Amino acid sequence: MIKLEHVTKVYKGDNVALRDSTVDIGKSEFVFLVGASGSGKSTFIRLLNREEIPEHGQIFVAGKDIAHLGSWKVPYLRRNIGYIFQDFKLLPNKTVAENVAFALEVIGKPRHVVKKQVPAILELVGLSEKVDSRPSELSGGEQQRVSIARAFVNRPLILLADEPTGNLDPQTSVGIMKLLDRINRTGTTVVMATHDRGIVDTMRRRVIELDRGAIVRDQARGVYE
Amino acid sequence: MAISPLYALRETGINLWRNILLSTATILTIGVSLLMFGAFFLFDYAVANATQRWEGGIEFVVWMNPEATPEQNANILDAITTSPEIRDYEYVDQNAAYEEFKEIFSDTPELIEVVTPEAMPPSYRVVPVDPDADVVEELAGQFDGRPGVKTVVSANDTIRGIQDLADRAGLFLFIGSFVLLGAATLLILTNIVSAIRNRGQEIEIMKVVGATNWFIRIPFMLEGVAQAVTGALLSWAGLWAFDRYVIEEFSDPDGLELLAGFQVSDNEFFTTSILVLAIAIVVSIVGSLVAVTRYLDA
Repeated sequence: MIKLEHVTKVYKGDNVALRDSTVDIGKSEFVFLVGASGSGKSTFIRLLNREEIPEHGQIFVAGKDIAHLGSWKVPYLRRNIGYIFQDFKLLPNKTVAENVAFALEVIGKPRHVVKKQVPAILELVGLSEKVDSRPSELSGGEQQRVSIARAFVNRPLILLADEPTGNLDPQTSVGIMKLLDRINRTGTTVVMATHDRGIVDTMRRRVIELDRGAIVRDQARGVYE
Repeated sequence: MAISPLYALRETGINLWRNILLSTATILTIGVSLLMFGAFFLFDYAVANATQRWEGGIEFVVWMNPEATPEQNANILDAITTSPEIRDYEYVDQNAAYEEFKEIFSDTPELIEVVTPEAMPPSYRVVPVDPDADVVEELAGQFDGRPGVKTVVSANDTIRGIQDLADRAGLFLFIGSFVLLGAATLLILTNIVSAIRNRGQEIEIMKVVGATNWFIRIPFMLEGVAQAVTGALLSWAGLWAFDRYVIEEFSDPDGLELLAGFQVSDNEFFTTSILVLAIAIVVSIVGSLVAVTRYLDA
């Protein structure tokens, strides 16, 4: 599903964010990206979403080399990739249902599809009772559930999560991880950057550790360190 | 997948409403600049209509009686062609005079209906070698009162003054409208940049979930076009008032005879209005495109 071949990403000032990295992630895998701040986790995720372009190497997503993808094709790539932010990035002037529907409306989905898919995904994330609430009326965990619903409503092949539990307490984080695990079991590949030792150690999934831009460990059923 | 018209209209409306003060300032600036631009054209048309017969260096016109005999006509023609003080002339026969009359008074068909080509006086439009006012007056006087001549009219300093004043006023309007159009373009750009910044998070989400660039751009571009078209409609109202209360007042039959024919035809008004609208759309597209390509795709 995801394949990086000798990928190097260098930012201005010769700041190497990712160094000659090669990795292969299969369909339905759940992968944790761990490492200290500045180790390259976020860059790894941004490369998969084509927010960044590598200086060297190739990145394949669903068989396509996205490093050399025409810019007009990028939106279509992103429709197959869900993205979960640490700070949720919900639109404050829209309700829960409108926030989720927004993700479908802006890619031109017909209204009947929106009407069908939004309630279904809100039920999946356990927010059927909150459809008309505004983000400011929700707890942090509920806001992250809305963010997950928005990322998953279009049923993407891949879900990228950049520190999704970073702003949540441990108990709420467990609920969010259960939800991501459930989504993963539907066949969606999940790649999650995290600093949360407890979660990684509890879930025992594949762990890729980065250190100053280099992959220093790639362990099946791994732990934080 | 195509953008839904309902979605585009809703988002455009939201953008305009969020920046209502800036939007209003933009619309007014566009309206005033287009009014000046359109007024320049209407003024130019009116002056051209009023001074049509004095174009090309013509300094005096010898109007013949429609009943003048061929011999009387031949004598006048001979006097014109043999005079060393006359550089050139143009003979306007009755049919050509009638066509010119129809053009000038195209807005008053009732007047055209009662006039026939036979009633129109033919004329010699004369270009002297020396355009000095005294020389022209003396030369024109040589034809006045001759057999077959109805009257001799010369382009005196007043007409030249009007042409000169019109040229200066037109230039002022033209430059002023260009400066204001530039300001309007910058206002449209500022307006859209402000809307883009207000909706930064929304745009980020749209990009992440896979909205195409055009899907994101179109509501912002429509915002610029909506402002420009509204401004153009305002300028139309202003141009109508300018035509009705300024140009038509000058061409009042009870007013100065000198300014008879100082008017704008319906066709000229329509052409000016369409031109103003076209300029509004071009200005808005330029402003919007610069804004979205520079600030949205960055």
